[in-house]
Amino acid sequence: MKVKVVTRILEANERIAAENRRLFDEAKVYVINLMSGPGAGKTSLLEKTIKELNGKIKTAVIEGDIAGTSDAERIGNLGVPVIQINTGGACHLDANMINEVLVSLPLKETDLLFVENVGNLVCPAEFNIGEDIKAMVLSITEGDDKPLKYPLMFQESSALILNKIDLLPYTNASIEKIREDAMSLNPSLKIFEVSCKTGKGIAEWADWLTKKVKS
Amino acid sequence: MHEASIALSVLEIAVDNCRKAGYNRIESIRLKIGRASGIMTDALLFAFNAVKADTIAAKAGIIIDEIPVSGLCNNCGKDFVTNEKYILCCPECSSASFNIKTGRELEITDMEVF
Repeated sequence: MKVKVVTRILEANERIAAENRRLFDEAKVYVINLMSGPGAGKTSLLEKTIKELNGKIKTAVIEGDIAGTSDAERIGNLGVPVIQINTGGACHLDANMINEVLVSLPLKETDLLFVENVGNLVCPAEFNIGEDIKAMVLSITEGDDKPLKYPLMFQESSALILNKIDLLPYTNASIEKIREDAMSLNPSLKIFEVSCKTGKGIAEWADWLTKKVKS
Repeated sequence: MHEASIALSVLEIAVDNCRKAGYNRIESIRLKIGRASGIMTDALLFAFNAVKADTIAAKAGIIIDEIPVSGLCNNCGKDFVTNEKYILCCPECSSASFNIKTGRELEITDMEVF
């Protein structure tokens, strides 16, 4: 006996992502799924961004890591609500992991929720978590060949934050090549050049975020 | 990349649908997998064989229909189909700006049950 199924294998994830989406809408929270390879500077960017938005926008953070709580401690030091998820080996956050921690966050008192995904340039782009937008960080020390090597993440993101531009003189990376390749993969991508070390470009990125949250 | 969790989802969906249809044994499950879905079929088969033990799918085989990558180029406007797993540029004009139409599928299409 043949049974028709025709079900997307990741349907369970999509269903829970839609449920998260409903909870976010109800609480009027704007959600950003922040992705990058390990060490690109996601947590540093969050620290700088949260300080920049302080007093204007109420933020909260979900930290995803395979193990450890050091990122959540860094964010907690800024006095914003933060939850650490340890995936215990899984290479990405999925909708269910997010769903389970939402009860512990003051969503109604939050305007903007950052979800810092597991450091990985591949898998996180495949799993929706109910976010409004995906954004990615690429540090210029990773090299200018990354857009064409990991195209999906660049295609799925609404914003690309190029971090560590203070180190540009010490690398062979070409910002122009990164921009050109990333834009050809995703013509609507918004690109920001920042340095979390010097603070350059943070205000512009924070302004863009503020407009997104308030629109 | 995460074939074990995909194998678990396949098992869960198949068992659920088998029971709903009023049957107790799964003979085979047919999947549609796009070549650019990031799934290694060998790893998926290996993982499925591990997770199916002691379930109503314990003897179930997996049949995989691989879907090639196809798309529409934003530069030359041509529809293309390729045998590559992942493409970085349009096979016709080498532009990196294109939209993928097929190749990212990850679906269960049907199954044989008793």
